[in-house]
Order: sequence, then C-alpha cells, then structure tokens
Amino acid sequence: MNIIEIKDLKKIYNDSEVAVHALNGVNLTFQQGEFAAIVGPSGSGKTTLLNLLGGLDEPSEGTIQIDGLNIGELSSRKLINFRLKNIGFVFQSFNLIPVLTAYENVEFIMNLQGYSREKRHTRTTELLESVGLGDRVNSRPAKLSGGQQQRVAVARALASKPKFILADEPTANLDSQSTSNLLDIMEKLNREENITFIFSTHDQRVVNKARRVIQVEDGKVTSDEVIQSP
Amino acid sequence: MIWIIAWKNIWRNKVRSLVVILAITFGLFGGVFSSAIMKGMVEQRIKEAVSRETGHIQIHNPKYIDDNEIQYAINGDAGQLEENLDALPEVKAWSSRIKFQAMANSANAGTGVMIFGIDPEKEQQVTEISAMICDSCGTYLDGNKKNQIVVGKALAEKLKVRLRSKIVLTFQDNEGNLTGAAFRICGIYRTSNSMFDEMNVFVRKVDIAKLLITNPQKYQELVISLISPGLVTAVQDELTGSFPELLVRNWKEIDPMLGMMSDLTVVWLYMFMTIILLALGFGIINTMLMTILERTRELGMLAAIGMNKGRIFLMIMLESVYLSLTGAAIGMALGYILTLYTSHTGISLSSFAEGFEKIGYNPIMYPYLDLNFFITLTVMVICIGILASIYPARKALKLNPAEAVRTE
Repeated sequence: MNIIEIKDLKKIYNDSEVAVHALNGVNLTFQQGEFAAIVGPSGSGKTTLLNLLGGLDEPSEGTIQIDGLNIGELSSRKLINFRLKNIGFVFQSFNLIPVLTAYENVEFIMNLQGYSREKRHTRTTELLESVGLGDRVNSRPAKLSGGQQQRVAVARALASKPKFILADEPTANLDSQSTSNLLDIMEKLNREENITFIFSTHDQRVVNKARRVIQVEDGKVTSDEVIQSP
Repeated sequence: MIWIIAWKNIWRNKVRSLVVILAITFGLFGGVFSSAIMKGMVEQRIKEAVSRETGHIQIHNPKYIDDNEIQYAINGDAGQLEENLDALPEVKAWSSRIKFQAMANSANAGTGVMIFGIDPEKEQQVTEISAMICDSCGTYLDGNKKNQIVVGKALAEKLKVRLRSKIVLTFQDNEGNLTGAAFRICGIYRTSNSMFDEMNVFVRKVDIAKLLITNPQKYQELVISLISPGLVTAVQDELTGSFPELLVRNWKEIDPMLGMMSDLTVVWLYMFMTIILLALGFGIINTMLMTILERTRELGMLAAIGMNKGRIFLMIMLESVYLSLTGAAIGMALGYILTLYTSHTGISLSSFAEGFEKIGYNPIMYPYLDLNFFITLTVMVICIGILASIYPARKALKLNPAEAVRTE
C-alpha cells in the first residue's frame, strides 16, 4: 500500500536573479515499511525533495499525497500539526534540545501531542531502550557521543508514532562504529516494527543497507532501484 | 514542559543572562528606593499636614470659606452636629474652633496671623501641635489660665519674642469694633512647615469669645480626626447628607495642593518606573535577539518536528519574562528591605533642614511604599517582559525551518 505519492513535483527557487530548478518533475511512490535511500551529488535536489516530503517547504508545482492527503493544500498551521502527528525527522547535526536530558528530548514531542505523563513515560523508556540508551536517560546531549545523540534523535522521531521517518544525512557527522550501530538500530526498527525510513545520503554505508535506492540528479530521478520490497 | 524549557534556556549562557538580570536588579532597586523616598516624603507631608493642620475633615458655614468673617459661624446645627459626631464610630475625635484673622504685635514687630480659638483638651485629640512644643519651649494651653497663647517658632522669631513674652492681638469683634488684648506666650511650637508656624497661633476659645463678644458655642470651624484615613469619603458623604446646609470638606479639598501632590506623586512614580522599565526592556530585547540568533538551528528543528508558532512564541516570551522577573524580584526585594530599614531609622537631611521646612517638608525622610505599588510594578515588569519578547519572537517565527535546521 502506498503511503506517499509524489506527482510531477517541481521546486523552483526565485531568490536569485536566475531561477533555480531544484526539482524538475519528480514522480515517486513509497510503501509502508520501506527502507529507502535518496542519493545523488550535492545540489542534485535530494534535500529539497526531503524538505518537500516533510512539509518543510512548498512545492512550486505538483502534488505530494500522504495517505491520500495532498499536503500542499494544508494551511501553515495545519501543516505543522500534520508534521507533528505524521512525520518523524532525524537531522544531520542531531538537533536535540541541549537543555533537556535524553529522556526529556524524547518525551517532549509526546508532550506537544498531548499524551498523559504515564503514557509518555512508558513509551519514552521503551524507545530509549530500543535504541540502546536505557542507561543514559538522564544524560544531556553534551554528555553523549555523536552516535548516541543521533540514536536519541531516532527515538524522538519514533516517539510521535509517525507514518514515516525522514532522515537527512543522518550519518554525516558519525564515525564508522556509530554509523554501523545507528543503521543496525534503524534497520531493526524497520524490519521488526515495519517503520518506514527515507534517507537522503551521500554515505555508501547507508546505501548498502538500503533496500531501495533512488538516484537524483539535476532535480530528476535518474534511477529507482528496489533491491528488496518491504 | 515549555515553562521548564524556557527557564532552562535562560541559563544556557549564564554570564549574559546574569548581566541582564543584574541590570534589571539594579534598575528596579534604584527605582523602588527612589520611589519610596518620593512617596515617603509626600506621605509624610500629607500625614503631618493632616495631623497638625487640616485634620481629615473640616466643616464650615459655606459663606465662611469665601469671606473668613467671624459672623459666618456654624449656626443652629452645632448641637446636633456634635451629637452626630459623638455617635459616629469612625470619628476618633473632633474639635471646634473660633477661627479668624488678626494682627499680632510685639514691642518690636507686627504681622498678620490666623487665630485658632480652641478647647485645648479637645484640640489635642485632633491635632498634634501640643506635641510640637519641645521641653524647653514651654507648654500647651492650660485649660484654666487666661489669655495665654501658643505661637510658632517662625512667628516668635519674626516678632522677636520669647517664651513668657507678651504679644498683642488686634482684631474686629462681632459688632464690628476694633478690639484686642495682650496674650502671654506659654509655648512655642515647631512643625516641619515654617510657613504654617509663622501664620498660626492658638488661644483658648473662652478667652477669644469674650473679646469677640460672642458665644463660645458659636464657632467657624469644626475639625474631625478619623480612626482611619480610608474612611474619609464615607464619613464626608454621611455628614453632607445629614447637614446639607454646611460645607463638609476632606483634607484634599481643604488643601488642594496636598490633594494634587498625593495624586500626582502616584502618576509620577509610575511614569518614573515605566521609563526605567522601558530602558531595561531594550536590554532584554538585545539579549533575546542574540539568543534567537544563536539558536536558529534549534528553533528550526522545533518548528520542523511540529512545535507550532504559538508554542514557540510562548517559549520565547517566557524566557523574556523570566529574565525580567528574576531581576525585578531581586531588585524589588532589595529595594523593599532598604525601604523597610530606612522607614524605621529615617534618612536625615538635616543639613538642608531650613530649605525643607520652608516648603513644608520634614528634613528627616521616612521612605514608604505600599503593597499596591509592588503588585502594579510586578505586572508592569511582566508586561515589559512580554513586550520585549515580541520583536525577537517575530524573528524566530519568520525562520524557515528547512533552512534553519541546516544553519551552522
């Protein structure tokens, strides 16, 4: 079943004197449980695609339907709420709230969603256990390694029970060991809990783990290889 | 949780936050204590004026106010009025006065004065003039001794007279004839208002009534002291209702300058504090702008993961309010402690005593602030905190989350 359908997606930036066609007619679909990597050189449009997919930017043309809902038609307020409930984000530079502990960072998003304290506690504890940080719940980000911070970010992304997780270059700032651990955890979550992950990445180690690799160049999808269906 | 995050956020850069908090602390401390001094001076002036000069309420024949002639006494109703006052629980004491203008002459000089013909016992319960006579300056009027007079120090100096000296009072009697008598000075009072001291003399009502050829029960002024200043309006309204032909005025109406000073001081204090807070507000805006700039990526992340604009605004506003309130709470507490301490010890400006007394102020100041001022000030601080957060928060809300999360 398709959870994401992208049709004729275009994004043109008119900020400078010359219009930049970041995406130029992209058509894609994603199914529940995919573990997909969007790859391509810098400036190819993969981050733009991810931003549009996450509702962080508005398409110039085309549509993105998530579970049948065209997110381009949502108002700014509704889009924020949609992101909160449907999309998990993992960023390149971890982006945790530095004044909160690992536990509080994960709990925060459920707090925004209005979950009770009890539910938040149960799920936060479970998620931190699942990413192997059960013993670091009270550590602040500054006391965690890059790999550990990114694992907290994955737990946070999962906390809202999203339809899918978008990860923008999640391993760019990690060493090999941390990258390997992180990918193992995400792959395990994907296989065992059928969570959909969509990465944008340069990292070959991520590409190697991905079960679908989408190549983007000059704002177009140049290849879409499904190695293993979900 | 946003409340907790906002509180933690202000301690990210401790030095910067402490600098702002200290600025607010000193600003508020200085503002509160200066306000307390100003308010204390005015309250003291009013308190002294009420307790020594005007009382809380005065009653006259309305014509007396225009002409100051002795024939415009409180006629007819005096007995009923006194009965009513005795029955009112709000009234602490009252005193009737035969009051008129006269000339006072000594062997050396002469000047115009206002004579207060009083019943010494009753008057002592209403005004504090008897307490303003120092140990070596004689005594208050004795109920039995004839033709004694209590004068102010400034008048004594002007007439070049001393204790036990005689002065001659000359005035028109009730029948329009010029009359007068010599009075011996039994006491010299000194208030903090040298103008009052130079103008007003006190004699027994019975002595002066004889000279005026009038009944001591016919008087021009009735002055009332209440158990609490807050009861003035209620008692005034009640007396006005019961005696519509008489003019019942409160201390603000009797001395409009005092009334205006009291009202204006409040306005001035709030203006003064508003200026201080506005200046501090710009400091807070600056700090918050720096905070927003430093946290661009984080704010972008919060917007991306679904924190709506209202919550982001609330978080930034709370940070600004916390900064303001923390500094303000310390500043106000310090200001309050110093006010409390100096309200007992007083601040002596005796080297400027002459100048102060000429304008009616006591050279020993007792700073004073009421609880309402602190409550209002706290609300003002919160408002400034909110106002100071609007511009930085708008900047934060304009961030594009997609760009902000990639900011280095």
